[in-house]
Amino acid sequence: MNTSGGNIERVVGLERSPMECTSAPLNALIWEDVLAQAITGELLAAMNYTSLSEICDDPAEVADALEHAEIERGHAARFAAEARKIGVNAANNVGAKHWKRLREAFLRCVAERDFIGCLIVQEIMLESFAVASYARVGRVAPGSLGKTFSTIAAEEEEHVDHAMAILRAERALDAQRLDDKVYRLHLDVMSTLAQMLAKECKDGHCEVCHNSCVKPALFDVSLSAAELRGASLRQYLKALDMLGVPGEVTLTWVTQLPV
Amino acid sequence: MGDSIASVITPERAGEVDFALIGHQESWRAAADVLAVLRGPERTPLPDDEIKDILPWIPPRTVCHLEAASIAGKKAHGLYIESFIPPDRLGSGYVCENVARVRAAAAYAIQAGAKIVSLGGFSSILIEGNFDQLPERHNTVFTTGNTLTVAFIVQGIEKMCVLQGRDLESSTLLVVGATGDVGSGCARCLAPMVRRVLLNARNVERLHRLGAELQADGVDGEIATDLREFSAEADLVICAASLAAPSLLLGRIAPDAIVCDAGYPKNLSPKAELPGAKVFFGGLGQITGGLRFAPDFRGVLNRHPFPDVVHGCLLEGMALALERRFEPFSQGRGFITRGRVEEIARVAARHGIYRAPLYNGDGPVEQLPAIYSRAHFDRAACS
Repeated sequence: MNTSGGNIERVVGLERSPMECTSAPLNALIWEDVLAQAITGELLAAMNYTSLSEICDDPAEVADALEHAEIERGHAARFAAEARKIGVNAANNVGAKHWKRLREAFLRCVAERDFIGCLIVQEIMLESFAVASYARVGRVAPGSLGKTFSTIAAEEEEHVDHAMAILRAERALDAQRLDDKVYRLHLDVMSTLAQMLAKECKDGHCEVCHNSCVKPALFDVSLSAAELRGASLRQYLKALDMLGVPGEVTLTWVTQLPV
Repeated sequence: MGDSIASVITPERAGEVDFALIGHQESWRAAADVLAVLRGPERTPLPDDEIKDILPWIPPRTVCHLEAASIAGKKAHGLYIESFIPPDRLGSGYVCENVARVRAAAAYAIQAGAKIVSLGGFSSILIEGNFDQLPERHNTVFTTGNTLTVAFIVQGIEKMCVLQGRDLESSTLLVVGATGDVGSGCARCLAPMVRRVLLNARNVERLHRLGAELQADGVDGEIATDLREFSAEADLVICAASLAAPSLLLGRIAPDAIVCDAGYPKNLSPKAELPGAKVFFGGLGQITGGLRFAPDFRGVLNRHPFPDVVHGCLLEGMALALERRFEPFSQGRGFITRGRVEEIARVAARHGIYRAPLYNGDGPVEQLPAIYSRAHFDRAACS
């Protein structure tokens, strides 16, 4: 498998299958774009875990990373199935500009064989975004679509625990060193996520939404870009609290992000 | 950004937290200023609409370290914990959400090891009758700080009477929000000193109880849930209602009444027409030994036109910390007595914490000591 940013769509069989389509519900096009972002995020996570497995020394960690990659692929497949149920084709694009930058940030950690850095990017930053935004979508999305988002949000939250234990142990060895690393990665990754989460896409099309930007339409499904951003940043602060980074420091980090 | 945290906390005291203050902002302007300091001068301040979108999602956090200095040479180190209650969500519809925020802020103070915690503004109102809702406390005590607030309100009323040549004993005092902790404390302190008391609040049962208590002490007065029902005009007014926004109109009071607005947020509506009234903001104190902020939140967290002015409720925690008296001095609702008010005022004064110079939205209302020039006031008011 190509682990450096290629399209792995075929691997999880996300092609539209007209036979499975039911009639498209109201707002199906909005859900199509929401699902496209979710599928892209899950595929990127699968690629990240696969890359991570390549720098793990401990065979147990290798197996763990590959298992996580498989889980994330499974999530992507479940989202894709939900898309088919509502009769839309939620295309993914892991090469879209923001997602590509996130992948590149992760690959820089891989290149440095920085296992801890990889965990910080994937588990603290990207998963915070996934957990919080899936949970919000899960509350408002209809039927099995909502249930799938809620279930996957809960699953994502669960598997953060293992990584958190590793990161806390690392922080116990040298808190300042770890905090400095988190901050360096925060500037890189969270600035990109903040741009993705901005209320409006000011720097052009995100290259994932099917047509125009979905954000203004989110109100039609009782969501808003501001809500998704707020919930994601709150989840991120919570994750940093769990890690042990002082709250007054992380508050400053978050308030300094671009909007 | 002013003093660094390191310069305020000496190495041997790093980690020691004598007091914590839990507060919130009363306006979006004030909230914007807090976020602007956090973002730093090199970044563009957030637009107002972004602030309104972002702030409700921020969990309670320490935003700065404080060092309170006593004129007796002592120092106390503390934290200001912002609960980030959105200024437009102080109303009754948000009580559960706001109690949760105050609880989270309290948990934060406990985790930081604060020995005493003062609850500012609505934090106090939300918790004063529900101390059992605070998290498990270990070695941290909580005070609403209301007793020192009452002390400064009473002192302010007395000072304004002197300034205006009024005789307190012949005055009719109206207390709006009379059954709250601050309102009832003011009523207990001032009722024996005035001719007549008018007590106004929304809760009839509590009004009757307070009225009966004062009457038993020989106080002459009336109670009413509607300000228009009083038979007399007040010439002294204390506004201490728990209002989510400045919305009090007052109605019928003496044209030249002395009016103390002690609310946070302020009680008096900008539409209140009080052309002849002498209005001042009450319940404020000044820590004359000095108060240092790191990062520098001077004039942001204490938005007053004089230096080192802070709300009495927050100063109570500082005074007790400077006194090394870590006890829940003010708790519950309706227990503030004249004796307790005098006691906390004495403790505060020992450390140079006094009633702040009186002022209102237009400027100072008393002759200022020489250290405050008019120019200083204007500069501070503009900031």
